[in-house]
Amino acid sequence: MRTPVQQLTLDDAATLLLQLEASDTADLTKLRDALTDLAFENRVPMRAQPFVARAARVLGTIIAGSAPDSAAAFTEVSESIEEAMRICDSSASPAAAPAPQSTAAPTVTKVAPTQASLAAPSVVAAPVAPVPAASAPVEPAPVTAEPVRSAQHDAGSDQVPDDADLLPDFITESREYVAASEAALLSLEENPTDEEALNTVFRAFHTVKGTSAFLGLSRIAAFAHEAESLLSRVREKEIAYARGCADLSLRAVDMLGALLEAVVTALASDGKIPLPAGYHELLDAIAAYDPALHANGVTLATEADDAVTDAVRPDISPANSASNASAGAAPSSAAATAATAARQARGDTSADATIRVRTDRLDRLIDMVGELVIAQSMIAGDELFGTGKSHELLRKVTHSGKIVRELQDLSMSMRMVPLRATFQKLARVVRDTAVKAGKTVQFVTEGDDVEIDRTLVDILGDPLVHMVRNAVDHGVEPPHDRAAAGKSNTGTVRLSAYYASGNVVVELIDDGRGLYREKLVKKAIEKGLIESDKGMTDNDVFSLIFAPGFSTAEKITDISGRGVGMDVVRRNLESIRGRIDITSVPGKGTTFAIRLPLTLAVTDGMLVRVGQERFIVPLTHIHMSFRPEPSMLSTVVGHGEVVLLRGELMPIVRLHRLFDVPDAVQSPLEGLLMIVGDGNRRTALLVDELLGQQQVVAKTLGAALGKVPGVSGGAILGDGRVGLILDVNETVALAQSDEVTPLQRDRDRHQDVAA
Amino acid sequence: MSAQTESSTAVSTTSRAGKYLTFFLAGEEYGLEILKVSEIIGMQPITRVPRMPEFVRGVINLRGKVIPITDLRKKFQMDLDGNEDSCIIVVQMKGIQTGIVVDRVSEVVAIAEADIEDAPSFGAGIHTEFLLGIGKQNGRVKLLLDIDKVLKTSEIEALEIAQSHAA
Repeated sequence: MRTPVQQLTLDDAATLLLQLEASDTADLTKLRDALTDLAFENRVPMRAQPFVARAARVLGTIIAGSAPDSAAAFTEVSESIEEAMRICDSSASPAAAPAPQSTAAPTVTKVAPTQASLAAPSVVAAPVAPVPAASAPVEPAPVTAEPVRSAQHDAGSDQVPDDADLLPDFITESREYVAASEAALLSLEENPTDEEALNTVFRAFHTVKGTSAFLGLSRIAAFAHEAESLLSRVREKEIAYARGCADLSLRAVDMLGALLEAVVTALASDGKIPLPAGYHELLDAIAAYDPALHANGVTLATEADDAVTDAVRPDISPANSASNASAGAAPSSAAATAATAARQARGDTSADATIRVRTDRLDRLIDMVGELVIAQSMIAGDELFGTGKSHELLRKVTHSGKIVRELQDLSMSMRMVPLRATFQKLARVVRDTAVKAGKTVQFVTEGDDVEIDRTLVDILGDPLVHMVRNAVDHGVEPPHDRAAAGKSNTGTVRLSAYYASGNVVVELIDDGRGLYREKLVKKAIEKGLIESDKGMTDNDVFSLIFAPGFSTAEKITDISGRGVGMDVVRRNLESIRGRIDITSVPGKGTTFAIRLPLTLAVTDGMLVRVGQERFIVPLTHIHMSFRPEPSMLSTVVGHGEVVLLRGELMPIVRLHRLFDVPDAVQSPLEGLLMIVGDGNRRTALLVDELLGQQQVVAKTLGAALGKVPGVSGGAILGDGRVGLILDVNETVALAQSDEVTPLQRDRDRHQDVAA
Repeated sequence: MSAQTESSTAVSTTSRAGKYLTFFLAGEEYGLEILKVSEIIGMQPITRVPRMPEFVRGVINLRGKVIPITDLRKKFQMDLDGNEDSCIIVVQMKGIQTGIVVDRVSEVVAIAEADIEDAPSFGAGIHTEFLLGIGKQNGRVKLLLDIDKVLKTSEIEALEIAQSHAA
């Protein structure tokens, strides 16, 4: 598909080039900026991009005066542009069109706000649109210098994206990356083989690239991409981290910082993101970095001719210079007033409204408040008050107790953030996936003000993206299928969050084709995951989709069905102690309900006693507890104990034996069996008794102990003693691998010590 | 890491003089550099941690922080009869807190370099590498512990044992 925008922009470039000479640096710079944008923003077909980029690069040398023969350079530029135009023409058939933009055309500004920058040239060029491409150069008259100039200046600036709410967070975060990268680069310079430092910088650019691309800040994304490519060459040991490379990397970090500040400036003013000085020069230098030539240092085009760059600036119209703060041109008072008004209209989006606090300090604070609560309740429970004589003191203690509890609530809430940002990102995922899959999907969110622990939000993001993609790609049917099934053409994917009994529930509901039990069972049997579906509830069957290697998608699309499957989703969710339930009605839709703890800091646990010791078993892992009948117990091959419950055979793990606890109940008939584990691999843990359900704050056992097998951490119990929290999966694995008796283990231990 | 241990030994041999907190373990008097001690607390209920070597007694709650407790008598394979378990010395090294159970805390003494001798070698079976040296004061002998080494080896051993079981 041939959109007038790309054709005429290239044509414009060609026309303009004919009118310009090597001395017209101002206009040449603008032309080069326009070409760079053209190449980076997918406005021209993939194959044409290198030519446009080359044209821009060569133009750069002309501007800098470093081209050996400016006439030859001009020829090269025009040849490159012509080549790009030729490719555009040849790929003009709809099949080869750059699909994403053309299909997304009606909502262009919403989807990729940066495209607004190119909307301007299209407006200018609009009257010329009907003119066939080939004839454009013949009639240069409409393309007078003035409109082209302003149009191309616009092409050189970027627009603040619509979802500006997310920007302050992005900026704060990215600033930290910039600072960290700078430090890492400096240490890298001292020790060029420091891979950790290199990875830090690499990750920083990578993350910023991803986030900025998502936010529609395409220039930052493009820049971070270039810098990342340079670093990845170092990482792949393709080039050495020589001085030149170090120079460039540091400059890249500075530039990233400047780009971020430009966004801040834009947020505070009219929304136009100014182009930091030296951007293109640096970009060119990074792209052209050649260890053979530049190992000892790189000279940027700007530095070669600062005077030229300065000469360019005053040429910019006053309205634009206001946004272009880095140019240093004094904004006219009119523009300043406009900027202030714009700032007021936007509200204060300053990134400094929050303070970032180290999480370990926050955790320590929460710890101390927890201790305060225990200490306070010990005072309040003192027998002194039982006598009734210290009425006045009791009143004061009760009052301080209220304050302590309020303090506790506050300290817990400090880790909480609303789900809004996570949900907003998903809106984009739904849109893009729907467009790719050729479906129309309405995305509804509810309860995005529900708050959840910050660490959970980070981990929840990826599984949700995956699930939402699945819902759109596999769940919702294509429009004609929906019509055939008597549904409205537009599918609905609903994401809602709410609090339920101390948990947060995130529900993903689609009104698509639903899950078919028979299909799943058939597939699972084929894959050897189950033998039959006897005794399996619908939820058990639906949960099969989380098994590794299980995919019911008939064909693999580029959206879903490739490797990274639902098993990863479940593993991610389990790592944050989430639980996922599926309900589905064939033909009507599917509901995924993710139940999450409010925070990882607090675990809902069952306190159990084994001998004289107490352990905490996370509630999410417990299915049920019961005292078995003799008929339910049997042994396998003499010593493996199993229990048969409702047709399900489960191995018994004696906690007292696994953990060498003396004086514990020996017979399962006198103790309790606690069923733990997931789906088809359940295990019965033998404990003496249940002491009750309790919320505990999980802590590490201290760095000096390292990793304790079977134990995920410790918690301070109500009496001030430490209780160990069981890592159920690890305990079960330990029991399976551990056929060693305590005696043997002692022998091993001595051998270890001797060795 | 061996280089690091060597250098720390080199440093400590040059400046062993200083203040030491002395305490009793199975009848012998030991000394700990006072700068490594963060506090002394009374005996507390210790929660045993399963599958740890014997000298790791377990963990306690130190004002909301969980810290491990090491029993040096078990570590040094001392006679365990007649233990008092009267208190726990909390030591701090490189930000990591660990408690050690002792029979009785004695006093804080300043020992001059001249009064410190290198630990003699007793031959196989007796661990003297945990000693900075032997201090003499008022006719009594105080065994000066290199607590970093003591705890470091226990940590490594604990890890090795844990791993050998996990494997």
